[in-house]
Parts: sequence; C-alpha cells; structure tokens
Amino acid sequence: MHGLPPYDLFLKQVSGFLGTYYLLLAVMNAVAAFLLWRGERQRELCRVPIVDFPVTPALVWLLVSGFFLLISPLAYSGDEQWMALISLPGSVRSGINWMMNPTAYTLGSLALVAAAFLARRFLVKPWVAWSMLNLSMLLMGMSMTDQNFANIVTKPDNVPIVGLIFLLGFFTWLATYQAVQNDDRAKQGLEPLEKLDSEKVLVWPDLVYTELICMVALTAVLLLWAIALQAPLEEPASAVKTPNPSKAPWYFLGLQEMLVYYDPWMAGVVLPSVIVAGLMAIPYIDFNKQGNGYYTIDQRKFAYIMFQFGFLVLWITLIVMGTFLRGPNWNFFGPFEYWDAHKVEALNNVDLSEYFWVTALQSSRPRAPEGSGELMKFGWALLREIPGIVLVIGYFAMVPPLLVVSSKFFQGLFIRMGFIRYMVLTNLLLMMMLLPIKMLARWTVNLKYFVALPEYLLNF
Amino acid sequence: MADILAAARASKGSSPPAAAAKPAAPAKPPAEKPAAKPAAAEKPVAKPAAKSAESGSAAPKDTASILAAARKGAKPGPVSKAEAAALAKPSEPAGKKKIAVPPMPAKPDYARPERSTVAADTSTRRSFMAIAAGALFGSSMAIGFSSLAATHLMWLLGLARFMFPNILIEPPTRFKVGFPDALSPGQVETKFIAQFGVWIVRYEFEGQPMIYALKSVCTHLGCTPNWLEAEQKFKCPCHGSGFYKDGVNFEGPAPRPLERYAISVADDGQLMVDKSRTFQEEMGQWRDSASFVSV
Repeated sequence: MHGLPPYDLFLKQVSGFLGTYYLLLAVMNAVAAFLLWRGERQRELCRVPIVDFPVTPALVWLLVSGFFLLISPLAYSGDEQWMALISLPGSVRSGINWMMNPTAYTLGSLALVAAAFLARRFLVKPWVAWSMLNLSMLLMGMSMTDQNFANIVTKPDNVPIVGLIFLLGFFTWLATYQAVQNDDRAKQGLEPLEKLDSEKVLVWPDLVYTELICMVALTAVLLLWAIALQAPLEEPASAVKTPNPSKAPWYFLGLQEMLVYYDPWMAGVVLPSVIVAGLMAIPYIDFNKQGNGYYTIDQRKFAYIMFQFGFLVLWITLIVMGTFLRGPNWNFFGPFEYWDAHKVEALNNVDLSEYFWVTALQSSRPRAPEGSGELMKFGWALLREIPGIVLVIGYFAMVPPLLVVSSKFFQGLFIRMGFIRYMVLTNLLLMMMLLPIKMLARWTVNLKYFVALPEYLLNF
Repeated sequence: MADILAAARASKGSSPPAAAAKPAAPAKPPAEKPAAKPAAAEKPVAKPAAKSAESGSAAPKDTASILAAARKGAKPGPVSKAEAAALAKPSEPAGKKKIAVPPMPAKPDYARPERSTVAADTSTRRSFMAIAAGALFGSSMAIGFSSLAATHLMWLLGLARFMFPNILIEPPTRFKVGFPDALSPGQVETKFIAQFGVWIVRYEFEGQPMIYALKSVCTHLGCTPNWLEAEQKFKCPCHGSGFYKDGVNFEGPAPRPLERYAISVADDGQLMVDKSRTFQEEMGQWRDSASFVSV
C-alpha cells in the first residue's frame, strides 16, 4: 500500500470503467422506461403546465436515463476538472470519514435495518426500490473517483463483496415485497400468493431444463469472471510474517470481527458452534405454525426480527466492515481514508476485575501469596474474577426468569413452550446478544474481558 | 403421408409387410368379428359425450384440452406422501384380517442343538497352546484376521518411528544473537524474526534494566505481530492486539503478555537464546532469572 499513483493517472485508469458504468445505468433506466411505456397501466403523475403534456413514470425514468447518458462522457473524458463534477465533494468525503467508526457503523446499520423494517410498506413499492438502486449506484460511481475508495473496492478479492451487497439488498427487498403482499391479503381474508400457484411441475423436463440453463449461465459467468479479474497473488507464505492486514476469507470476516472482542476459544469455537446448534434447534423451538411455505412478516414478527438482526446486523454488516473498513493492524478506516499502517488508535483495554477491585474498591486485585499451591492459586484467581463470574452466571440464569416476570410476550412464550424449551430459546438469544453487549462495553468503557483467567487460558 | 395411408388402406390384406397397414387391420375379413366389438364398446362412451354436448358446450377436440380432461381425474405430477395416504385410505379394508400362522412342526432330531457331552475339565494347561494356535491360525478366517492385525501393528510401530526422524532440518532451538553491548538501551532487535521468530529487546521491566527475548507469537490467536518503531509497540495485524515494548498487552483482544524465551550469556560473552523454554508473565515466570539478562 506504499504510495498511490498520481491522481491524474488514476483518473485515466478509472475513466473507461466509469464511463461504461454510467452508460449501462442509462441503458438500464431506458429499458425500465420502455417496459413501463409498453405496459398497459399508464399512471399520470402530473401534467406539464404550459404544453399540457402528461408526466408518466416512464418519462421520469427516461429523464434519469438521459441524466446518466449526459454524465457518461464526463467520466469517459478522464479529465480532472470534468470528473470533479461527478465526484463526491472532498468535504463530504472527509465528513463521512470523520463520522465513521465501529460504533457509528454498527449502530447505524442497526438503525437502517430497524428503519427498513418499520417503513417496509413504503420501501417495497417498486418505484422506491428502483430509486434506491439508482441512488446507490450513483453514489458508488461518484465515490469511485476517490483513490482510496477505488483501491479497496476494485481489489479482485472485494469485487464479489460489492456484488453481494447489491444482491443481498435485492433479495431482502424481494422477500419483504412478497411478505407485505401476503400480509395485505391475509388482512382481507385471502390465502397467500404462494398457495394460488400450487400446481406441481415435472422434474423432467421442467426442473432439469432450468438446472441446465442455470449451469450453463453460471459456468459462463465464472469463466468471464476468471478472465476479467486476476486471482490476487500475495507474497510467499512465511510462518514468521503475517500479511498486514491479515484477513480471513470473506464469509469468515464476521467471525474475525467477533474475535476482536472475544477470546479465540469463545469467538472461534463456542459461539460458532452455538450459531450452528441454534439454527438446528429452530424447528424444535418454534411453535408458530403460521408462515409455513409462504412469505410473511406480520404472522411471525418475533422470528423475523430475530433472524434479520442476527443475519443482517451481526453477520452481513460485519462482513462488509471487515472487507472494506478494516485496514492495517486491524484498525478501522473510513471508506475514503488512506490505509495508513501507522494510524494510531488508543485502545487501552481493561478487564472487569481491574475496574471492580482497583477503580471501584480502591484496593489491589487479589493475588495468591508467594509459594502457594496450585489449588490455592486457582482459588485466588477465582476470587479475583468473582465480579465477572457472578455477572456471567447471573446473565444466563437470571435474565430468562426476569423476562418472564417483566414482559407479557415472554410470559406467553414460557406458557406455550414449557421450562426447558423456553430456557433453550432465551439462552440462545442471550448468546446472540453477547456480541453486541461486548462490542458496546468495548466502545464505551474499554472493557477487555468480563472474566479473565489467562493462567488457565479461560477468558470471557 | 395421407396419400400413403390411403393407398395402404386400399390395398388392405394384399400388402402385409407395410407398417401402415396395421391401422387397417380391423377391416380384414377374418377380423370382422373383433372389429364389431370395439364399435359396441364405443356406444356407452359416446353416450356421456352426447350428454355433455346436449348440456350446451360441445366437447373440445384439440390435444391440450383432451390431455387436460384426462389429467382431471388423477392429479398431474408426482404425488406427495399426504396425498398418497389420502388416496390409499378408502381402498383399505375396514377390518384388518389377521393372518393365521400355522403352528410350526416339531424339530426333527438332527436339528436339535447338540448337548455337549464333552466334560469341561478336559481343557488343561497342556491344551492351552493348541487352543491359542487354533484361535489364531485354525481357519482361513483366523489366519486372515491375524495377519491383518499383525500388519496394522507393524504399521503403527512404523508410524511411531516416523515421529522421531533421524535428522531435523529446522533452526536450532539454542542460538547466539550477538553481544549485549551491541544493543543500545531501549532497542528492539528485529533481525532474528525471519529465521528464529524472536525479538531481542534491551529495555526494562518493573524498573530493572534487562535484555530479554520475546516470542513473536500473538497470545490471542498466534499471528506474528509487527514492531512499530514510531509508536513503540508491537501490533498484531490479525485482530489489532497491541503490546508495550516490555511485551505486556494493552490493547485489542490479547488476553496475556507475549511470552519470553530463555536467555543467558554464553561462555564467549554472547547472548544465547534457548527456545525450548518459555516464560509467561501471568504465571509469575518473568521473575525467573533465566528469562532475562541483567545489564
């Protein structure tokens, strides 16, 4: 990452791609406009006052297409002054960099998911979704003239992740769209859309033909991909030199982010196992018979919110963060920030026992006297970590009954599920919440571990 | 095609080898009787058709509609388990018939288990070897399993031997790293990282100036941290753990300080690092005099 090429040279390199990118956006919108125009339903938004010309959605998207068509040659020019017009202003970029840190990013993504859930009836409208797609594509194009952003986004490793973001957005939108439709139908007493289309199809030829077509298309895409994006070659492997930053494969970046907050055995063994076991336990925990075989949100709100939180907030956004925002020394970098290996971030972390004994009680941490036996040492270590141990045990043992007492909803769950199933469910949820709790504790009070027993390789 | 068919029909029985003649077969003189039957059979079929025609709409004659009509009775496509069960139910008889099993005939003498007439006390110490040999090699099966076990045993022994190679091509665990004077106070020597994975540091710990050898393995997940001269700290690229110059962890997830290797002054006055012994701070082992060299 030493030294970026001169800016004008970089603009020349990126201009060809950007011009084509905007051209494709123009074509995409033109096709949408054409399809709308050909469609039967012509909705009139308003009329142009003087010439009395109807403004239809098709016309709007045609105008958008024209806009992209206009800025495409600006991008093709590769000229610094022209391209400044289609770049994010420097002040905006530095503002975003300044605002971005792990806290803002995680809380922001949580707020986004929550907002998308609350405003889902608005967001599932096709024109809203299409506008958001256009806006995000435009924002991305305008960011591409930033050298640091382009450097990271166009790395062959990271290109698929960019595609993944858009793909995930699309599928989330599609599922929500169908769910909202089904919920509306349920309110009118109609059966879900999936039930209408219940005719069975034959394996041969219907399924096998589809599979064949998918296979051919996928192979073609993979071939093109392999030709267009060279596999990244790194320096020869060495046991004593770790690349900086050292990143896991993209699908494990959520785990790697988890490792920043937890001990390896916890974040690398226990929590992943709990994720897998918890997913396997869902059929035994779930007693809600609704929503079987069709999309719905209203009929299984709890399950929906829990899954979206665990998947989108605790997995996908962490992958995106690990891919684009984690730089050398695993420091956090804004999207337009130079990956400086010497960036200094104060991350002095303190264990809970130190907070308890030293800060709160104004004494020193209990320590085994010199020359005491192994068992005595263990006892003293336990005494040292007693606040954390009490906290953790209390968290898992006390929160479930407290939830029953305090919340009507959990009361209902307890009655429906019985003691064991209820405890399994709540403990799985509490396990899931461990990560955000630890993140929050790390950001606010620089907490390192609740229970720190490094002598026995046990940290929590 | 139609012409050929017509020609074939016209020639009737005179051209038996033609495949096209087959549909014309019912018209043959000897086959007149069976030909009449299908006509009779057609009558009841024709009745409902006529009925449906009477009821208003004429029965459709195109292929698709005929197929659809044919499919109406039986559901198209594969049948699921539940459907199959629903279909099967009505055909089941109301009262299950119990299958009467005839009593088994008494066993003949030759099939009865043989009473062991041999007394148990015949097995003596003398016959032990014979019995053992019989168990191991008495039959082809025993020989096969015995040789399999023997092969496995030899393989395991070979594997155990493999774990102790005659020659180990790896850097020695004890090596010299130069004279103590070569290190200036506060210096972190990084040139031994590539070969030995160790930093030689001349610094102080708990107020005592000393030289020590830090193991370059992060105590979090085992990556190799980098020494950042400008920030005066070791920083791990994997999860951002940071260590002071004396090896004590202070940032990121690393739960404990870096480990020390044993270090001593050799006979020729050079520093000697011994990688076979490590010292952990949290175990109180850094007070061990083998873990540092005072300066």
